[in-house]
Amino acid sequence: MAMTEQIVIGPMLAALGSIVLTLSTRRFRRLQRAVSVAGGLAYAGAVGALAWRVVLGAGPAAYQVGGVDAPFGITLVADELSAFMLVIAGAVGAASIAFSAAYVDPDNQAVFYHPLFHCLLLGVAGSFLTGDLFNLFVWFEVMLMASYVFVAFYGGEQHTAAALRYLVLNVFGGALLLLGVGGLYAVTGTLNMADMARRLAAPAAYGIDVEPVLGLSALLFAAFALKAGLVPFQFWVPGAYRAAPLPVVAMLAGVTKKVGVYAIVRLYFTVLGGLPVQVDVLGVTGDSALALLGPVLLLTGTASIVLGGLGAVVRDTFEETFAYSSIGQVGFIVVPVGVAAMADAEPLRRFAIAAALVYALHHALAKGLLFLATGAVRSATGTNRLADLGGLAGRSPLLGATFFVGSLSLVGIPPLTGFFGKFLVFDAAVRRAAATGAAGAAGVVVALLVGAVLTILYTSRTWTRCFWGARTPPVEDAAVDPAHAAAGAALDREGYVDVIDPVGGVEE
Amino acid sequence: MSVLLAAVVGGLFAIGTFLILRRDLVKVVLGVAVLTQGANVYLITMGGIEPGSFDTVPVLATHGDYVPDTADPLVQALVLTAIVISFGTTALALALTYRAYQENETMDVHQWR
Repeated sequence: MAMTEQIVIGPMLAALGSIVLTLSTRRFRRLQRAVSVAGGLAYAGAVGALAWRVVLGAGPAAYQVGGVDAPFGITLVADELSAFMLVIAGAVGAASIAFSAAYVDPDNQAVFYHPLFHCLLLGVAGSFLTGDLFNLFVWFEVMLMASYVFVAFYGGEQHTAAALRYLVLNVFGGALLLLGVGGLYAVTGTLNMADMARRLAAPAAYGIDVEPVLGLSALLFAAFALKAGLVPFQFWVPGAYRAAPLPVVAMLAGVTKKVGVYAIVRLYFTVLGGLPVQVDVLGVTGDSALALLGPVLLLTGTASIVLGGLGAVVRDTFEETFAYSSIGQVGFIVVPVGVAAMADAEPLRRFAIAAALVYALHHALAKGLLFLATGAVRSATGTNRLADLGGLAGRSPLLGATFFVGSLSLVGIPPLTGFFGKFLVFDAAVRRAAATGAAGAAGVVVALLVGAVLTILYTSRTWTRCFWGARTPPVEDAAVDPAHAAAGAALDREGYVDVIDPVGGVEE
Repeated sequence: MSVLLAAVVGGLFAIGTFLILRRDLVKVVLGVAVLTQGANVYLITMGGIEPGSFDTVPVLATHGDYVPDTADPLVQALVLTAIVISFGTTALALALTYRAYQENETMDVHQWR
């Protein structure tokens, strides 16, 4: 008899309840906003309770949907990894919804903004919690459906164009995902991730051909890498981020990208980790599916870091700078995952995964903060072009300080989260280089260094251009709303609290 | 039967890819629809078609002498979900297409600014 714990569905129920309540109160705008912010806090609270239960309490928890036992029913599982990712979603989600209530124009908020936002949160929670491969596809689509509408939200010509590109691309990714899921079902005879991992660890006992699994996992990898915006799947990122409302971009960059990274980690390390298969492709040899994942992730990760960094240096608006910056930062997250996949020793593998997760948390908080600060700049000055801005720090010290802290965190100055993230990522890459002595491993460290230098370059460029120097006319006329700057600052403060707790949970 | 289904899946993916690469937005959306249907037919195929037996389909025990071929019902349940999702996505894509036409006064993707 499988254990069923109601607490696992807490975050999903909070999001679902908020959808219903924000829909039913949409005639009363102020009430709807209050309900929505309360819903965001309830979501964060449910996530916190779940993380408390999983990380500090009795370990992983499972919920059998409809009381149908695994492996036949749909199982929702909260282990340390899901709980950690949910904490990121809860922190960024609550801050973004609070910021939205103040930032997005009330007429626009009345048009299904809040129900859709909670739909996005629901899809994210479902993706992190599900223990069923097909169900993962469904939650991906729930999440994407909300984000399509958000990209098209303002309804201008660039917005609809960006939304259509984003939609067509993700439908293609969804079809790849379906092919991978259906194929894995045909090969293994199950959709439950835990059951699949058990069967794949002993393929002979279940009559499973191991070779097709590798090819199918590559299809799934492509679908997840598309969601994560890794090079060569990065081209949708700038357009979509330029079009969507900024609080939603904080969610898209901070959380939904991480869903792709999470799915890669979940699939390869949990489901395929035990698969005994001889790999010999293009000079890559090894005895598990991870041997193939490692070089691919290191290659795409370093390419993302360099391309994203170079792209961010030459952009002329805030959104585009940070969109390219996100491409680079996701590279920083997947490089340690690649190191973990190629690690021979268990301690290095665990350490590298922990490094990736800390970096994911850091990026979600820092980039969320910067996108919210960008929203505050735009609502105050009416522009987002770097060339039109100058002297903002003197005009609004609070906004300047918020932006400064976010930039420092992105660069990696202690005691901000970025320092821990960068430190652990470099440590993992250097340990691998020391252990193998290969030229490729040293090349990865060099690429990380280049990425770090580029980060300093583009953050200091936006800072000196827009916050220092003579005040330009838009800045002089700006009306800074302290509530906007404060919402960003609140997100930043959460960073200090969060970074201590989940790391202990992952490394225990 | 499996060969026929494989050919259908391959054909649908070919048509879908071809249409997605067109300049006309309506064709792109049709391509999206065809492609997802290809994925759905593939999912059905993954259930396999086998001679029915009492072990896999207990209800056949009372069915008499004639035992038909059977297919895995789980993939059919999955495909229903996938069809609903692709229906919703296609509807949204068509709405966006209309909106894009209103904004740009052209269906040609290359003439978008």
